[in-house]
Amino acid sequence: MIRILDRPLLHFGLAAATVLALPLLLRSGTLASEILIYALAVAACNLLLGYTGLLSFGQGIFFGLGSYVAGLLLLRTPLPVPAMLIVALLAGAATAAAVGWLSIRRQGVYFVMLTLAFSQMFYFLAYTFSGLTGGDNGLLDVPRPALAGVPLSDPWSYYAYVAVLFLGLFAALQRVALSTFGRTLLAIRDNEARARAIGFPVRAFKVAAFAISGAVTAVAGALHAMLIGVAPLSNIEYHTSETLLIMTIIGGSANLFASVLGAAAYLVAGDLLSAIWPRWLLLLGLILIVIALFLQRGLWGLIERATALVSRRPVSEDSAPDRPALPAEEPQP
Amino acid sequence: MTYLFQILNGVGLGMLYFLLAVGLSIIFGLLQFVNFAHGAFYLLGAYLAYEMVERGASFWAALPLAALAVGLLAGLTEAVLLRRIYKQPHTFHILVTVGLALVVQEFVIIVWGPIGGNLPAPEALSGVVILGDFVYPEYRLFVIVFTAALAAALWWLLESTRLGAIVRAGSESPENMALLGYDTLRINTAVFALGAGLAGLAGALAAPIRGVEPFMGVEALSIAFVVVVIGGMGSYAGALAAGLVVGIAQSLMATLWPEGARLVIYLGMAGIIVAMPRGLFGRA
Repeated sequence: MIRILDRPLLHFGLAAATVLALPLLLRSGTLASEILIYALAVAACNLLLGYTGLLSFGQGIFFGLGSYVAGLLLLRTPLPVPAMLIVALLAGAATAAAVGWLSIRRQGVYFVMLTLAFSQMFYFLAYTFSGLTGGDNGLLDVPRPALAGVPLSDPWSYYAYVAVLFLGLFAALQRVALSTFGRTLLAIRDNEARARAIGFPVRAFKVAAFAISGAVTAVAGALHAMLIGVAPLSNIEYHTSETLLIMTIIGGSANLFASVLGAAAYLVAGDLLSAIWPRWLLLLGLILIVIALFLQRGLWGLIERATALVSRRPVSEDSAPDRPALPAEEPQP
Repeated sequence: MTYLFQILNGVGLGMLYFLLAVGLSIIFGLLQFVNFAHGAFYLLGAYLAYEMVERGASFWAALPLAALAVGLLAGLTEAVLLRRIYKQPHTFHILVTVGLALVVQEFVIIVWGPIGGNLPAPEALSGVVILGDFVYPEYRLFVIVFTAALAAALWWLLESTRLGAIVRAGSESPENMALLGYDTLRINTAVFALGAGLAGLAGALAAPIRGVEPFMGVEALSIAFVVVVIGGMGSYAGALAAGLVVGIAQSLMATLWPEGARLVIYLGMAGIIVAMPRGLFGRA
């Protein structure tokens, strides 16, 4: 039986409610757009971490790539925004498939180290080929052209545009997670050897998961460049990969809405705290340690506990098929 | 001749990379623990040496003291915090150590500021050596000789001493070691402190060459990962060979294509992964 908290429709409803609530709760349209953009990238990261059991330190590659695609195409070609986003999507998918294909040659910790090393590689690629990427300065003055006559220059009108794309892509990611393909990813996460023995092409599935994740992340990166008007070098840095992963784990990997929660909590807390104390990352470090020790299911786990307390039912720790838990330990070779 | 000079430079750099990577590798071998805070220990070692020299201590005292302090701090962290999560999935090892690395990095910025600084090479080594046609900084020569001696000592420690035997046996089967009556908790702490201390030492040794700045830890961590990926995790010889290869390649590229020096390292790593997924010396 699927418990209420595990229903995908509820998660989509919560995502839609977030889209409606942000303009009421936040004064800054830029921050609101940023939350949705990061939420997309974090949900994509969760597809790998929560559903496939792949902890990728390379998500910044695809985010940064999307930013550069947006910068280059909007600055140098007359391509309209939707076409640019499709190019970003395809570029993200292709790059992620390549990075994924190389990284899954190793498992467990080695895989994690490889994704991190690749993220450094792409950072230095962007840094070295400064003619294309602007190097340290990034690509400046990325425009935000009007869409079918409607200008997007106002923060809240851009938010509306981002919100539509966010809901569409969130629903698409949910479809992927609920499909036979998504179920197979869960099977691979829980027992890779068995999935392979049954006859699933495990590596092809992992590469496909990477491609989907990279595609969505690149779109998020492109939207981010349009938001801040720059395609900065920092978007492809190790730091971006780390931030996306931290947001994913803070939210919890139980479902895709948990990722929206993680992104929103991180960015709102960062916005409030950095105004008070520029070194708030120290606090974040401590929070990560606390989460690893006491709150391993993240903020979503907190909600689960709270509802269990209200309904006076204990949280069952067994993992129903609809309920991706944390990635299982990969066997050490 | 410039190539010879760059190769010598690369050997020095490579030996520092070896020190970094071998600590990471030993810790992983024994504890199956991924230490994303390894770069933070390198960072801390560099800053502690910098602070001591700034306050008038001699570099020769600062070097071992910085390494020792980092080792002690790491041992304490292991005993209080890290050992609680060994049995958890790798995700949480990474989360805790990423958190730890953030705490250390922000602490460094709070105490020493975001800009960084320069640690001069010790007086006795501030000159240059004239080797045939070219001149070479004495300090860099010292780094090569010192780290080579240290590498030999470490080899002896791991291969020929009781502690080394315990570490190697513990890597194979911690349960059997516990059954034989060894206090595995204490061994774990000691090995973690040793690995982190080596990273701290590498940081202190690197400080006069590259200066100190708060983000040097992140770069060191990814270089250590590259070395371990290329050399094969848990392999002493692999860490040494890969450290040298990476160091020399980076130095040679610095004359051939300076902007692309770092890029070539990572491209080379990708190439090796395609050709040899287990790394040069990897067993597993």
